[in-house]
Amino acid sequence: MPVSATTNCAENETRNDRIRANEEVLIRRIQEGEKDLFLELIRPYQRTVYATLISMLGSKEDAEDVTQDVLLKALARLRQFRRESAFGTWLIQIAINEARMRKRKLRHGIMFSLTKGADDDGAYVPKDFADWREIPSEALERSEIRNALAKALALLEEHYRLAFILRDVNELSITETANILGITRGAVKTRLRRARLMLRDILSPGLQQGGEVGLAFKEARNPWE
Amino acid sequence: MGITCEEVWRDISDYVDDELDQKQRAALEEHFAKCRHCAAVLEGTCNVIRLYRDERVLAPSKGFHDRLRARLNQKLNQGADERFHPSRRAVLAWALASAAAVPLGFALFSAKRFILPGLEHQSPTGSPDSPAVKGLVAISLDANNKIFHIPSCPYLHGKLKFISVEEAIREGYSPCPICIGKRRPEKKG
Repeated sequence: MPVSATTNCAENETRNDRIRANEEVLIRRIQEGEKDLFLELIRPYQRTVYATLISMLGSKEDAEDVTQDVLLKALARLRQFRRESAFGTWLIQIAINEARMRKRKLRHGIMFSLTKGADDDGAYVPKDFADWREIPSEALERSEIRNALAKALALLEEHYRLAFILRDVNELSITETANILGITRGAVKTRLRRARLMLRDILSPGLQQGGEVGLAFKEARNPWE
Repeated sequence: MGITCEEVWRDISDYVDDELDQKQRAALEEHFAKCRHCAAVLEGTCNVIRLYRDERVLAPSKGFHDRLRARLNQKLNQGADERFHPSRRAVLAWALASAAAVPLGFALFSAKRFILPGLEHQSPTGSPDSPAVKGLVAISLDANNKIFHIPSCPYLHGKLKFISVEEAIREGYSPCPICIGKRRPEKKG
């Protein structure tokens, strides 16, 4: 059975409702002057903002700097938060706008579009059919494995990468992802399909990609490491 | 007749997201039970999502939170300092605001001088209780602007309220440039 985003759906909704209610209290208190509570408010979103920015900016250092700028900007703009979307989605929107602005500056004013890069609607044929041994959670303690995952993601074209980050890393819904990227739900699904299958091929066992062996294969060979 | 592998690869991502109807879902599950390759693709896709969802993947470096806390504290202290020891920019802003307040006060004072003498001989046919006799100005409750007029001003319309000039100024009303702007203080001697 799939992992999916969809398992324990009702449970997730209850959890999200609880998180939202707690956030609402924090936001109100911060707006009333308890600004030191801001760190508590943004703590669950540091990673999602950072992941979004690294997928757009490429460098770890830039992504960390801009994440800090984005979070401080969010504090300054908290009064403008209209609650039309979840707080986390609002933060990601600020992050994407900030990254776009920086990229535009770097490219001397050339417009940068999130929808750039044509979606390939053609069928994607998986290149590898070997079984994956499930990678144990402890393996992710190793920076080598985490780096391999980051590297694999960097191999995707940006529009596939960003859709994947928003949906599968930041756990936004397909509709939220579509709204943020300004594309249709259908286009989000197309991008997700390619991103997921390409990542599976890059990381899967037995597949040579750019001279690197698939992640699962490495893991299978050295399970004791 | 079941579905083909190509059809499975096309729908596998929607299957993971539970975006398929029951019939399509059942067709895929029937295929996975028979086709080892497609089952491997499904398992791998689920592994990819599971791996990237882990909090440790694509996370900022260890010192990130402390650096953010330091920047935030610095920013908050800066804000507090500015409240107690205003920066040079804040002092300049206050100076400019004060400088602007002087002519504004003078303008309001002059407006009062222009209006009151005029009001004394306004509306000669008015009864002793008429607003003009009491030295009041009129504001329109229906207008969207905050302008006060002499009671006979042709630009005054809608439901009226009569208040003193001081009250009008205090409430943020400005003199009407038509009826009051025309008036000049009478020259003495």
